[in-house]
Amino acid sequence: MLISDRSAAPVTPAARRRVPLPVAVGGGVVALVVCCALSLALGARSIPLSTVLRALAGSDHGPDADVVTGLRVPRTEIGVVVGGALGVAGAVAQGVTRNALASATTLGVNAGAGFAVVTAIFVLHLARPVEFMWFALVGAAGAAVLVHALARRPGDVDPVRLVLAGTVLTAVLASWTTALMLASQRTLDEARFWLAGSIGGRDLAVLVRVLPFVVVGLVLAAVVAPGLNALALGDEAARALGVPVARVRGLGGASVVLLAAASVAVAGPVPFVGLAAPHLVRPVLGTDHRRLLPACFVVGATLLVAADVLGRLAARPSELETGIVTAFLGAPLLAVLARKAAR
Amino acid sequence: MSALVMARRRTLTWCGIVSVLLVVLVGVALSTGRLHVPFFDALRALFGVGDSPTVLVVRQFRAPRVFAALVAGAALAVAGSMTQRLLRNPLASPDVIGVTGGASCGAVLVLAGGLPAAWTPVAAVAGGLFVAALIGASAWRSRVAVTRLVLVGVAVQQGLAAVVNLMIVRFPQELAGQALQWTSGSLYGRTWTEVWVAGGAIAVVGAGAAVMHRRIAVLDLGDESAGGLGLDPRRARLGLVLLAVVLASLAAALSGPIGFVALLVPHVVRRVAGPPTAATLALTALVGAVLLLGADYIALNLLPVHGLPAGAVTATLGAPWLLWLMARSEQRTLT
Repeated sequence: MLISDRSAAPVTPAARRRVPLPVAVGGGVVALVVCCALSLALGARSIPLSTVLRALAGSDHGPDADVVTGLRVPRTEIGVVVGGALGVAGAVAQGVTRNALASATTLGVNAGAGFAVVTAIFVLHLARPVEFMWFALVGAAGAAVLVHALARRPGDVDPVRLVLAGTVLTAVLASWTTALMLASQRTLDEARFWLAGSIGGRDLAVLVRVLPFVVVGLVLAAVVAPGLNALALGDEAARALGVPVARVRGLGGASVVLLAAASVAVAGPVPFVGLAAPHLVRPVLGTDHRRLLPACFVVGATLLVAADVLGRLAARPSELETGIVTAFLGAPLLAVLARKAAR
Repeated sequence: MSALVMARRRTLTWCGIVSVLLVVLVGVALSTGRLHVPFFDALRALFGVGDSPTVLVVRQFRAPRVFAALVAGAALAVAGSMTQRLLRNPLASPDVIGVTGGASCGAVLVLAGGLPAAWTPVAAVAGGLFVAALIGASAWRSRVAVTRLVLVGVAVQQGLAAVVNLMIVRFPQELAGQALQWTSGSLYGRTWTEVWVAGGAIAVVGAGAAVMHRRIAVLDLGDESAGGLGLDPRRARLGLVLLAVVLASLAAALSGPIGFVALLVPHVVRRVAGPPTAATLALTALVGAVLLLGADYIALNLLPVHGLPAGAVTATLGAPWLLWLMARSEQRTLT
């Protein structure tokens, strides 16, 4: 394809890996399976485990079984796809910008989606999350393109300016979003639950509609993975290795936009999953993006499903929105990361 | 004439120009509204001279909001210029590191707990100090590493946003709107009591900042030189940062977390008036007051949708300026 694999080889010495690969992969997959099982078994309604198993096997059709197959199964599937997409988007964003704090949130994608959805509610009187989807997608992509344009310099995109431009744009869009919600009580009522970010009560049809975006985003991420390894050495070194820096950055950026926009269209803005996943993977598997990206899919999915389960348990019989749980858990993590980054 | 005298004269000229602008803006803000009052009548009504309906409208309904904007804008700008100089980072202003966010979070908690509104400034200062302590505990080692401070601030802000988000989702409708208003930076419904309480406190703390101003100048020379001049740099910096935090929190108690004023006014002042002196501190306060009053005037009178917060206007005006700053400066000065 675009980039030769050889250029990436020296970036990851095997010594950097502290855990054997099979153990790490096995551990990640087991964690994801356990979280999914918990997500199916636990919820606002107490359902005996035997009923859950029979419902999954298709041999029970009572109201409890309908809750499992009709609500919890789609919810878990959505959680896995959205979390995985966010995890990969975060890893690619951090690779492209060479900035450990880059994520869909810092690049303005979530703020763009939020503003587009709130504007649509304000102007077009939308009322159902299914209708929000396309606006979220367009808003997220628009914000990402705008941030990219703001950070452009003749020749190339400056990673530091990319994150700064994202932060500035986020501040402005967030203030406009708040302004619209203050101006209209109806908009506030419709938007406030969506803006908290949740995978509960979503139709599986929404996921099916954004699935093509996720797939293309994941393919693009896989394509640029070796190039990202070279990019980690710095633009000059990457160029010297024969890596087309601008093209890697462009395709990587497109991948981030597709993945993050698809996630936000389904679940609303869920912070910190994309930021945290790469940081949890790197100490275990090292910095090789060819391993990092698939691992981030698994870890991102695990994080999101786990946060969702926590949210359901924390406030029974009601539930906490997934985005609120991830923010509460993610903020201390970011503080710890910041300490490390600046040490 | 020496360069220093030239600079001082230029700063004082700017102070004069901005003061005139301030008076004009106050007059315009007091005279605009559903009941139009002529410019000079509005200014006279402020001092209780004129027919009673005019005096009532100007003094009871419009003046508290105008003075809240002046006081909060000045306090935010001064706090911003202090933190930027003390932490040696042009991005380290109270709104960026989360202090004003913490203050407004405290205000929302008062709302959630059903306490009387008089507690709002107290809770706001407590919230701001809490955030400052949190940031200090995690970022303050042997000395302040600036990147760490800003990053921890971002983390704190995200956590606070989650708290506010939670309340907005859980609250009944009308409280959700109020909570949102506190997080947006808006000057609606200010009363004289609030202005007097917060304004008085800001005046006291601001006077303290003016008195301590020379210490900032000494710290500007570098920690080693400051030590040589008999100033314990760590203690002096800690004290001054706390002063700035209290100032910003009090401003947030009055106006909510208005963005970009604390960040941008010091940049503007540095461009027009040169290196910082006591006179530039006064100029900073004046420009901050004018900026916030102007933004509030735009939000109240010029925008098509009624009820927009002043914070949205400052963000809209501030962002292009910040991006322009980014575009023309070297990246190392901003990171």
